[in-house]
Amino acid sequence: MSAVLKPKNKVLVCDGNEAAAWGVVLSRPDMVAGYPITPQSSLVEYLAQFIADGVLDAEMVEAEGEHSVLSVLQGAALAGGRTYTASCGQGLAFMFEPYFRTPNLRLPIVMSIVTRDGISPQCVWGGQQDAMTVREVGWIQMFCETVQEVLDTTVMAYKIAENHSVMLPVNVNHDGNYLSNGIVRIELPDQDEVDQYLGDKDVNWHVALDPQRPMAVDPLTGGSAGTGPALFTRYRQGQCEGMQNSLGVIVEAHKEWAQRFGRSFAPLIEEYRLEDADYAIITIGSMAGAGKDVVDAARNRGERVGLIKIKTMRPFPIDAMAAALNKVRAVGVVDRSVCFGWNSGPVFQETLAAMYYARERIPCLSMIGGLAGADLTEVHFERAVRETAKLLAGPCPRQPIWLNAQD
Amino acid sequence: MSAINTIAFKPALCDGCGECMTACSTVKSVNGSAAQSRIQIIADPLKGSWELALCRQCGDPRCVADCPAAALSKEANGGLISWDAEKCVNCLLCTAGCVYAGIAFSADEGRVVKCDQCGGDPQCVKACPTQALTYLTSASIYNRWGDLEDLFVPGLGGCQGCNTEIVMRHTLRRVGSNTVLATPPGCIPGMGSVGYNGMAGTKVPVFHPLLTNTASMLTGIRRQFKRKGRNVTAMALAGDGGAGDVGFQSLSGAAERGEEILFVCVDNEGYMNTGAQRSGSTPYGAWTATTPLGTEAHGKVQDSKNMPLLMMWHRCAYVATASTAFMEDLYEKLEKALAASDHGFAYLHIYSPCTSGWRFPSGNNIEVARKAVETNFAILWEYQPDQGLRLSRPIDKPLPVVEYLKLLGKFKHLDAAQIQHIENHVAEQTKLFSELAGIGKGVERLAAAAPLSAGHERSSVSERLTR
Repeated sequence: MSAVLKPKNKVLVCDGNEAAAWGVVLSRPDMVAGYPITPQSSLVEYLAQFIADGVLDAEMVEAEGEHSVLSVLQGAALAGGRTYTASCGQGLAFMFEPYFRTPNLRLPIVMSIVTRDGISPQCVWGGQQDAMTVREVGWIQMFCETVQEVLDTTVMAYKIAENHSVMLPVNVNHDGNYLSNGIVRIELPDQDEVDQYLGDKDVNWHVALDPQRPMAVDPLTGGSAGTGPALFTRYRQGQCEGMQNSLGVIVEAHKEWAQRFGRSFAPLIEEYRLEDADYAIITIGSMAGAGKDVVDAARNRGERVGLIKIKTMRPFPIDAMAAALNKVRAVGVVDRSVCFGWNSGPVFQETLAAMYYARERIPCLSMIGGLAGADLTEVHFERAVRETAKLLAGPCPRQPIWLNAQD
Repeated sequence: MSAINTIAFKPALCDGCGECMTACSTVKSVNGSAAQSRIQIIADPLKGSWELALCRQCGDPRCVADCPAAALSKEANGGLISWDAEKCVNCLLCTAGCVYAGIAFSADEGRVVKCDQCGGDPQCVKACPTQALTYLTSASIYNRWGDLEDLFVPGLGGCQGCNTEIVMRHTLRRVGSNTVLATPPGCIPGMGSVGYNGMAGTKVPVFHPLLTNTASMLTGIRRQFKRKGRNVTAMALAGDGGAGDVGFQSLSGAAERGEEILFVCVDNEGYMNTGAQRSGSTPYGAWTATTPLGTEAHGKVQDSKNMPLLMMWHRCAYVATASTAFMEDLYEKLEKALAASDHGFAYLHIYSPCTSGWRFPSGNNIEVARKAVETNFAILWEYQPDQGLRLSRPIDKPLPVVEYLKLLGKFKHLDAAQIQHIENHVAEQTKLFSELAGIGKGVERLAAAAPLSAGHERSSVSERLTR
């Protein structure tokens, strides 16, 4: 762990885990709970040290497992606390029972997923299989490209989660190994500015466990008779509305962030050199950097290629994706995880679904790489660009291309 | 309204020695004559047993109603019926109305006399050598806590005669409304603690945690309020499955961290809400829906794990076992647990017989609970880190275990070997707790219990299990 710096120092050289921890410090949570798991471990170590050093004034619960980690935070949120944790991989799998319930209780908990591939084969390295596997549970999910974006998005996540029209938990995801351990220079926002940006905590105005406002939280609801099923159905409907509301809130949160702190990130979908492109590759997470370099090189050769990067995976920004797809005639999707049921990647599957709302159906190729810590380098993206370009003239393969299989 | 303290009589234990009458007359009669004793033991030649003539301090006393001079009155505190010499006109109407012969004219004293319970220390009970007489002071609970609000709604949907409902209502009313109550899935929310379809079942903040994370959610709640300078009791009413099986990890973690939680485990020895399936708390030999009887199987094949003992080894601020058959003890422990939860983890394990899942008539519930304790099947004890383990009542003279087993349908099928297994297990537990009780400072080491099977008649199994 690097020496702890006081927030007054505006520039840091650190990895993504420390950056996330600084984002947490700036967000002033009441409670942090954690349990170690590679490659997330140093993140909770940083937070424990920050609390030990008085940099962060928060309760720290070193729970006996991820299942309890999130459960502790649920209790704290219901009692009115702003909360944070981080996990990944098997930890996330073990956490699934309370994880599944957090959005259903409408608790604005923020959790980083330091993405990691799933066992077996036994593996402790990066990959997005963990986060992608839980994408349908009701958490808002944002994937970061850079270490700076990790810090900034962690703070923004609270503004999004606690928005009264949203009230949903947020995963801020950064790639295990590549972002969690990659050290770069970042800038630390000013605490007073962050305080103004986030405003007052207002976590349990809608649902609380508090003797001053006694209520039964989560009575048994449903069944085949009475008002139960209708209550349940309206509840789910409200959740889906909250999820949709978050799209606009995410955009606003990013816009205000850019105004206050001078750094802007595409909130939903980033279009990179897409205006006059014939085709594009689609990426998510830290691999986008290598992808952009390859696109730049191809542009220098005169190829009209662009890149589409997904930041917000849940809710899926259907309209933004359809608008991006409208600008090209073919796309190749590079996934860092697998969608077993479709013999492709999950982002590929999402792209196909969003394409229904685009002007026309265009060729779309699935490519899978970066599993189990494998690097996605310029070599891999050159191939991705090459294979995608073929779609303009030739047939579209139904089988995915496995990018690291021959490394 | 007030409840009563009473002197209870068990005819089966009485040998007619008359020591009670002697003791009473010594302190009460003007001439020491046993004939003037306020308690009279009378032979019943038809039944061949002894009967008691004594004031029962009735809840709705005829003597008080019949008295034309308002000389008899029922005291609000303790329920004693007292007699005022200045008002009495010696009409003796009171003696005519009492069916217990509890008030009688004393020629020696020239007035009516009746039991006054010696001011709460009845000498007759002390003198009784066979424990046929016992002084029941359940009124003290009622008088002390009877005015507290029941914090559950009136219409909980429990089974008839549910023991767990007794536990729920008594514990929560004592703990009070400055509480957040967790009731993980099971009988307790099943009977409506959290409510149905938007309607609440409890008058304090209440919720369903997951079956697995009760102690963890309470951790977050308690710590968040404490951070904000508020002292809110974080309380769980959890079944044995949620506490000891699937929820054990979170419970153990919270106990190890010393979270300030009042965790009440209501142990009905299985998953009774879902249809009486086996849990880690189900005793050996018991029928459950998942340890059924058949040609190849005869109930559960493992002993139960001793959850409260496991919690003790976490060195919690307070650990105790309790039973609704011993309510004063239960209240005392609840009070200690509540106090302990202000600075550490408090675990209260309450044995809760289940009429539906254990298969016995609902009217027997308290008797089942009592027999479990009296046979050492369920041993009552408490633990505090600075005092060690203390037994709540002597365990060196237990009733035969079959006295408990024969009450329950879930044990009806047991064969001789299975009964022997249970007897051995109970004896082993008795010995263990005797030894553990010697650990704490200032607690004398109790003699190891004698093997139970040795002291009791070994009649045929079917006979021993006959109700």
